[in-house]
Amino acid sequence: MTSTGNAVPLSAHAFTRSVFTKTLHDNRRIFTVWALATAALAMLYAAYYPQVSANTAAKIPDALRGFGLSDTADAAGYLQGAVFGLLVPLLATFYGAATGARMISADEDSGYLDLVLAHPVSRTRLLLQRYAALAAGGVAIAAAVLLAMLAVRSGAHLGAVSVTGFAAQAVHLALLMLLFGALGTALGAATGRPRATVFGVTAAIGVASYALNGFAPQIGADGLRYATPFHYYIGTHPLTEGFQPLPILTMAAATAVLLAVGAWRFDRRDLGR
Amino acid sequence: MTTAIELTELTKTYSRGRAARRGLDGLTLSVRAGEVFGYLGPNGAGKSTTIRLLLDLIRPTSGTVRVLGLDPRRDAVELHRRVGYLAGDFVADGRQSAGECLAFLAALRGGVPAARIGELAERLGLDPSARIRSLSKGNRQKVGLVQAFMHRPDLLILDEPTSGLDPLVQQTFLDMVAEARTAGQTVFMSSHIMSEVEAVADRVAIIREGRLVAADTVAALRARSLLEVRIDFAAPVPEAEFAALPGVTGLRLDGTTLTCHVDGAPDALLKAAARHTVIGLRADTQDLEELFQSYYAAA
Ligand SMILES: Nc1ncnc2c1ncn2[C@@H]1O[C@H](COP(=O)(O)OP(=O)(O)OP(=O)(O)O)[C@@H](O)[C@H]1O
Ligand SMILES: [Mg+2]
Repeated sequence: MTSTGNAVPLSAHAFTRSVFTKTLHDNRRIFTVWALATAALAMLYAAYYPQVSANTAAKIPDALRGFGLSDTADAAGYLQGAVFGLLVPLLATFYGAATGARMISADEDSGYLDLVLAHPVSRTRLLLQRYAALAAGGVAIAAAVLLAMLAVRSGAHLGAVSVTGFAAQAVHLALLMLLFGALGTALGAATGRPRATVFGVTAAIGVASYALNGFAPQIGADGLRYATPFHYYIGTHPLTEGFQPLPILTMAAATAVLLAVGAWRFDRRDLGR
Repeated sequence: MTTAIELTELTKTYSRGRAARRGLDGLTLSVRAGEVFGYLGPNGAGKSTTIRLLLDLIRPTSGTVRVLGLDPRRDAVELHRRVGYLAGDFVADGRQSAGECLAFLAALRGGVPAARIGELAERLGLDPSARIRSLSKGNRQKVGLVQAFMHRPDLLILDEPTSGLDPLVQQTFLDMVAEARTAGQTVFMSSHIMSEVEAVADRVAIIREGRLVAADTVAALRARSLLEVRIDFAAPVPEAEFAALPGVTGLRLDGTTLTCHVDGAPDALLKAAARHTVIGLRADTQDLEELFQSYYAAA
């Protein structure tokens, strides 16, 4: 046995002061990869705009109009369809589902939650601190996407979309991740189901509501779109309309409700093993 | 306050899946402040169930729990501040080093002097720089022990604390428990093994199938145990002279050798034996372990 004491570097200690900072620290690599990958993909697609606009023959089938894949001729329309209408929101949904499923379920599966919750940390506090880390990750991803867009804005002839438009779109993107993150976190907290189940259900709800938002006009159920987060995320056209209180508040409110219900159930159930 | 833990008619039915499973069945038990309390029972008896109820990790189906005068559910945060808990299967974050893990858990408690953590780690022979994932079961258990003891809690709740520890470390652990008692802390520890609890516990409870089978001081339990007697005579003796003696059970005569159990005073047996020539005499108190086995097995 060698001497004990300061074997642990101080920098590590700084990150282990609260559940929030520890969760951030534990996820720093994953969040970085998500941010870089999402931003890189968005940038790649956005940079493709000059070719698409030159080749306006791009015909969009009527069936796909609901997804926003129209008006490829102008910059906002292209971005709303190819970049912020398909790839990025699906990535955001998976970020929320995958990260949300890890916030409570994964540690309950392993038994680690027993240890933390035997400490002076209330269940609600644990849930909120874990979620805050997820939210910080989501904001970082959205910020990376925004920076990527601003970087290619002039080079890819996207100047028709204002910086405010991009910023509003990034805020909607962050809120979408926060919403699905809250769904995954709340599902795990409320049910105590295994991580894989929570991820699967959250992702399935995400994909189904994405499809519903896209196909609703086709099946004559336009009203249903308002029940999906994707309507508020993209159907309110943040790229051209900028910041609007309604979609922002709706997504934020839905997130708060999910978290509140999750915390309420979490506080009332047995922890599993 | 003289009662550290007070369980009244505590019942826990697990309802996951279709079949409801009885984890505890009307358990009433009280642990005094300042004592070391051993909680024994066979696999599946309900020890971990009781302990997780004490910590508000699960909630009772019926009955009440008071710990340190607090309601585990309503006063969870306040209670956890004053309790040190070691789970039956201690799980920590494998990515952290032992030192990081302990620093994090200490931070959740508002801080514990690093010297205190270092002293406990050193005593148990735990290397704080080792990654938890890479630790052996016993060394991981040491991390669990350090985190339970480090903040000198009023109450230590330890679920099979010695599992995986080598005999030397087990002894160190027992010393730590004895010191905790000297310092006025209460210790509630579960185990499968009587001998380990016997060494430190003031009182012992034995549960089986969610019910209390016995609760008493170790001395009283020992007093309940039988004397095992073996007498060698110079010549064969008639069985009839010994069979009806008060307190004598399990009598066996094998030529010139008599063996039996004696409950209570051995006076009558000795006087009966003295009528013959006794060439050998041996009397042992029944092992507490054996007594304990009989509690385990009793239907
Ligand atoms: N989460 C659970 N769901 C369903 N049944 C459970 C659960 N946890 C425990 N049980 C059941 O409750 C009973 C008591 O289990 P418990 O874990 O309390 O026993 P124990 O005394 O700690 O046993 P061991 O000595 O093996 O640790 C067992 O029959 C067990 O199968
Ligand atoms: Mg157990």
